[in-house]
Amino acid sequence: MALLEIRNLHANIDGKEILTGLNLTVDAGEVHAIMGPNGSGKSTLSYVLTGRAGYEVTDGEILFDGKDVIEMAPDERAREGVFLAFQYPVEIPGVTSMTFLRTAVNAVREHRGESVFDPMDFVKYVRERATDLNISDDMLKRAVNVGFSGGEKKRMEMLQMAALEPRIAILDETDSGLDIDALKVVADGVNAMRSPERGMLLITHYQRLLDYIVPDHVHVLANGQIVKSGDKALALELEEKGYAEFLENAA
Amino acid sequence: MQPYLAQALDASSTFAGAGVGWIDALRRAGADAYGEHGLPRRRDEYWRYTNLNALLDESFKLSETVPAIGLPTLPHPSVAGLATYRVVLVNGRVQPKLCALDGMPDGVLISGLEDLLAAAPDRLEPYLGQIAPLEDMPMAALNTAFLQDGMAIFIGENIVLDKPVHLISITAPGEGAMMVQPRHIVVLGPKAEATLIETHITATGGSSFNNIVTELQLAEGAKLNHFVFQEEADTSVHLSGTAVSLAAGSFYDSFVLQSGAAIGRSEIRAYLNGPGVDCRLDGVYLGTGKQVVDNTTYVEHAAPECRSRQVYKGVLDGQARGVFQGKVHVMRDAQKTDGHQLSRALLLSPRAEIDARPELEIYADDVKCSHGATAGELDEDSLFYLLSRGIPRTTARRMLIEAFLSEAIAEIPLLAVAEDFSTHVRQWLTGHIDQQADGAGT
Ligand SMILES: Nc1ncnc2c1ncn2[C@@H]1O[C@H](COP(=O)(O)OP(=O)(O)OP(=O)(O)O)[C@@H](O)[C@H]1O
Ligand SMILES: [Mg+2]
Repeated sequence: MALLEIRNLHANIDGKEILTGLNLTVDAGEVHAIMGPNGSGKSTLSYVLTGRAGYEVTDGEILFDGKDVIEMAPDERAREGVFLAFQYPVEIPGVTSMTFLRTAVNAVREHRGESVFDPMDFVKYVRERATDLNISDDMLKRAVNVGFSGGEKKRMEMLQMAALEPRIAILDETDSGLDIDALKVVADGVNAMRSPERGMLLITHYQRLLDYIVPDHVHVLANGQIVKSGDKALALELEEKGYAEFLENAA
Repeated sequence: MQPYLAQALDASSTFAGAGVGWIDALRRAGADAYGEHGLPRRRDEYWRYTNLNALLDESFKLSETVPAIGLPTLPHPSVAGLATYRVVLVNGRVQPKLCALDGMPDGVLISGLEDLLAAAPDRLEPYLGQIAPLEDMPMAALNTAFLQDGMAIFIGENIVLDKPVHLISITAPGEGAMMVQPRHIVVLGPKAEATLIETHITATGGSSFNNIVTELQLAEGAKLNHFVFQEEADTSVHLSGTAVSLAAGSFYDSFVLQSGAAIGRSEIRAYLNGPGVDCRLDGVYLGTGKQVVDNTTYVEHAAPECRSRQVYKGVLDGQARGVFQGKVHVMRDAQKTDGHQLSRALLLSPRAEIDARPELEIYADDVKCSHGATAGELDEDSLFYLLSRGIPRTTARRMLIEAFLSEAIAEIPLLAVAEDFSTHVRQWLTGHIDQQADGAGT
């Protein structure tokens, strides 16, 4: 059984159809890259998968581990193992990163029937992962994403992924806004998370990321559908030719 | 005759100080000002959004007997654990057996008002009724007509009071509908410093109407931290009017937490009379059911180079209604005034409501003033972010509400008070928000 299977997915925002019959299958252990022009529906797909309010599925199916997730609340999906690294991480004044992380990790662990961390043990658990991502204790003490630079926010997303240990991780342009060193740090973090049980969807505009995280499959998303799939050579081809071919087809 | 006036005129002849010229005159001035005006109505500038129709039929009777009750367990463990000078009022009357006033330093007087009216009225004459303007505060006028008991604090020049004063006010209405009219006065000499904590609670029983007036006078360079917990029962009407007169270089920091009473109202009028005053008025309020929670302020900058800051934050659920009315009045001579005022309300239910009216009235030209009001629901993006990490909706909502209030609570300089404020907020959220959030769907 596929880890994630999306069949003929149609989704609206404000009554406007953004996803127009999208098909995609991700098996456990695989990394898929999704590329596509601005506004083609990549972030929309990530929000539909995570159940954001306002994104209405009008047709099709999303099966995660064989289970239909469309009726599941976003927090339930997350506890089942769906994770999204946001394109634009949200700032939450008044909630420290450490408290936020502990609350999330414990909610997920409780759901899995694992023991929950007390605050002291949790600090250790997070520090181990934070060090690899160059995240300082000071950042963990600050309010979630408040005053973080673009790159710091992206690394904080990676820390959340590492701490939550999801079954499927969707990374929405986690590479954009990163300097060269940070890109390597993030890529190392992602590679460390690759495992036979886990699937990943990398949304990106840059083939450069795929030099570091080599995908099993590459897809082009245009006008709300997957219009072409291939291996990592497709990313190189897109880099050269752009998306004109797919946009013309749609017109 | 205006409601309650006959009760005041009947009772006051037996009160302490009756027969002393200025005290008789003061009570009469209160009765006259109130008689002229009557209960506040919507056309009164400071009462636009809170109506007192519940008081009109005069069902509330002045408390005559004080039940013998012990000191109840207070809802604030940290404050209860502090070493304090304690003054306990039951139904507006000081209970000497429940007070703890041993070891007052020389130059400090903490006393029941009634005792002082009988023993040394001269000490009170320069202050009592001189700070709260009766013509602008009809409920203070009514309170003055009933002037009988409460708390009096005098702190002499240069004295830094070693412990906070904790005023515990318990309303125990018994069977019927009971009224209390306590009056407090706090006078700080030059460079004196003190902390005053107030706890207002209700013992079980019928309904109550608590009409409190507090007059505060801070001489040059004096410093007062003032924290109020208003947690009366939902069978209570709690009206509090505070007037504070601030001399040059003095510092007044007020923080009011209101979560109790059917109608809970805190009015603070601050008069910045000398240069270099620093005045902070902050508050947090929590409303649910059909509660009305009103915070009304008036800050008068009468002298140059003063600073005033106000931040009121509220969370309203159910059909609760919040009111923030605040005016910063900068007079012509008050150059270099720095005056800020902010009201922020979080509306958790579509039927909750806030009426916010921050106002600036400026007659000086060289000032830095701002005001603002925001009202809204929980931020959807933040909520989704927390949900997307597996945090259950109820917890996520609670985290965001606490975060909204935590900034305000973080400003509280006394740790025990800050702790109890946070605990109280957390308990309130558990009691009022959780069931509602669970039913809210996705
Ligand atoms: N709240 C909204 N209301 C209306 N239209 C929206 C809304 N959010 C997104 N859209 C539209 O949906 C389309 C797809 O947007 P989406 O963010 O999914 O694109 P994307 O592929 O992620 O683009 P990018 O590469 O720029 O991140 C765009 O045309 C966008 O304007
Ligand atoms: Mg996008």
